[in-house]
Amino acid sequence: MTTTPPSEHDIHAYVDGHLDGPRRGEVERYLARHPEQADEVHGWRQDAQQLRTLLAGDLGPAPALDPALIRERARHRRVVRWATAAALLLCLMVGGIAGWAARGIGSGNAPMADAMQAYRLLALDHGVGMDITTGNESDLRAWLSGRVGTTVRLPDLADAGFRPMGGRLFATDQGPAAMVLYDDGNGHTVSFYVRPPGPARRLLPRGAREESGLLANYWSDGGHNYAVVAMADNAGREASQRVIGKAI
Amino acid sequence: MLDPRIDEALRTMLPRLRRFALWLARDSNAADDLVQSTIERALSKWHTRRDDESLRGWLFAILYRLFLDGKRRASRYARLLGSLAHEEPTWPSAERVAMAHATLSAFAGLSVEQRSLLIWITVEGMSYQEVADILQVPIGTVMSRLSRARRTLRQLGDGDTQTPSLRLLK
Repeated sequence: MTTTPPSEHDIHAYVDGHLDGPRRGEVERYLARHPEQADEVHGWRQDAQQLRTLLAGDLGPAPALDPALIRERARHRRVVRWATAAALLLCLMVGGIAGWAARGIGSGNAPMADAMQAYRLLALDHGVGMDITTGNESDLRAWLSGRVGTTVRLPDLADAGFRPMGGRLFATDQGPAAMVLYDDGNGHTVSFYVRPPGPARRLLPRGAREESGLLANYWSDGGHNYAVVAMADNAGREASQRVIGKAI
Repeated sequence: MLDPRIDEALRTMLPRLRRFALWLARDSNAADDLVQSTIERALSKWHTRRDDESLRGWLFAILYRLFLDGKRRASRYARLLGSLAHEEPTWPSAERVAMAHATLSAFAGLSVEQRSLLIWITVEGMSYQEVADILQVPIGTVMSRLSRARRTLRQLGDGDTQTPSLRLLK
């Protein structure tokens, strides 16, 4: 009688004890007639039994591996991670806000420093080097709106005792700026300076500062930055106050 | 499932996981780390488990993949350092004694996949289909790899003369 050899699957299932009665009988009958293969299969069976016995040993307790503990540790780590992320975010926000608030502070970035330089350049020489020399306010208004912007308001300071002398254009990082110089006839000059805020839209809170004998009052209005600059003496202060009262 | 029930289900699997990890890593510290990572992964991925999936097979698959990933990383790291220094595994004393046994030292000389196959099938009594699912191969491939594993174990257990070269080859 010839029998087809059992499949690889059946041989392993026989070794692992997964075969039911009739199929186990088939494998056993086949192995009985093929002693060489029977030797191998019995060796496998023996190895499997030995592995089961030898590997069955207990490993001893490992309390650190308890799932409840691991769950708790993971939760704690998550909390710490979130707290770290939140703290980092807070630091970034504080830094960002402080940086935004501090923008413009620092060397060379004092507000309207350009207005003071312009005053120094022109007013101290009493108007030498102006682009336009006229006392006519409507001419100056037309000149300003053509050069700097149509929304620029030129203050009428006649009531304060100041008459315009003329104006000059300046190139700044933010765009063309203009200064109009006023004179009260008593040797006091006050400059009115206007500049666009530039691409950074850097508008100014209202403020004043003194630097090397000059006093600058500045503010923003209608999308432009303005400054009124005068000498930082009593007469200059008084004149500035009068001009600002009219200009703002 | 409620958290305490999940914990309990995992707790009953711990001895099997630890035994499997120990024979994969062949180092008791590394084995405990491996089991801990497996539990962590299982807790965070519990919701992705299919209800009909056997918990044992699912956990073994997680542990097996974590071990292979770690091994890949370690060998990349070793290549990076240009060192092939081999650390002596730290066996628990009971296993050190057991290693004297010919079958066990032969077993320790098998490849990672062969050791896994024999633990899953002969020690854990898992079905061939479950093992095929873990390894993501057809069942016929499991059969032929199982034959290779059993033959190699026989050779290593009997002959023993070939052990060193086979160890180097794996």
